[in-house]
Amino acid sequence: MWKKLRNPVLLFSLALVSAASWLHAADSAPHAVQVTVRSILAGSKSDEFDPKLKNLEQQLKPLKHRSYRALKDETQTIPWQGSKAFDIPGGRSLTIATQEFQNDRIGLKIRLTQGDKPLIDTTVKIANKGNIILGGPAHEGGSLILSISASTQ
Amino acid sequence: MSQCETIQESIGRWLDGELQTADSEAVRRHVEGCPDCAAARQRLEKIHATLSGLLTAQASELEFAPFWREVRRRIDEKRSWHEQLIEWAQSLVTSPRLAWAVPAAIMLVLGFFSLAKWPVGGQVSNYASVESIDTHGRNVALLRDDKTKTTIIWLYQDPEGENENVEEATKSGPAF
Repeated sequence: MWKKLRNPVLLFSLALVSAASWLHAADSAPHAVQVTVRSILAGSKSDEFDPKLKNLEQQLKPLKHRSYRALKDETQTIPWQGSKAFDIPGGRSLTIATQEFQNDRIGLKIRLTQGDKPLIDTTVKIANKGNIILGGPAHEGGSLILSISASTQ
Repeated sequence: MSQCETIQESIGRWLDGELQTADSEAVRRHVEGCPDCAAARQRLEKIHATLSGLLTAQASELEFAPFWREVRRRIDEKRSWHEQLIEWAQSLVTSPRLAWAVPAAIMLVLGFFSLAKWPVGGQVSNYASVESIDTHGRNVALLRDDKTKTTIIWLYQDPEGENENVEEATKSGPAF
């Protein structure tokens, strides 16, 4: 047996199969996805920019509001093919379900509701450790903006 | 340990020719001049002669013909097709040149699946993509910012006034 393993062809084949297994494992579905939802209040009455939002500053620029204030951060671990609800300011709720994982992108099904009324249902694919911005609902004289980021575990 | 004891321990190996030339010569010289060691040599030679005689007598009684007949029968036996197939497959794998066909085939299969899995000649986009969207009758805008690779879904205010402070929000809504 060990004598046969010294054969370079066999060794090379074993290495290839191992590499293929490793690559497959690296791209297979994760156990869970860590999702962070940042609730931000955007307004135009002042020029306040919350320092807590520094890492989102460039992403928020295209929205051209004058002020941005962090309202709430919530992080939850969602098991694969599972879902979790996030409390959003203004009596809203954001339900996020994990759907698929391919090419290092995470598929998420997102539903924003206000009370019983659905505001938006969308399915998105986010780069692993990336985010998407969902905004628009009115809140405290401005607009509510949600940054939804996801990373595999 | 006396010299005679040492020599007598080596006599067996000396008689079997297992000693180095110098050691063999030293034992021979000692045995020739030592009556005790010469007697020990004679005892060993007698045991050897007795055992050899017994083994030769037993071997002559053994019948080898059936053994060789069975070997011949196995050589001449016609093997089944699946045994021949296994042998042919083994010869393919063990043949030095053709053996490389196995990893080459694995690489081809891996390459095929890699092409199917990853976009050919392109990068995996960092943008978040929107696969489907239902705003339940509300207007929506999608924005992609190239600089920050950001995708923004902007939900316009509900005209029915269910959102609070519609006036302010509408003013600041579709700001991009």
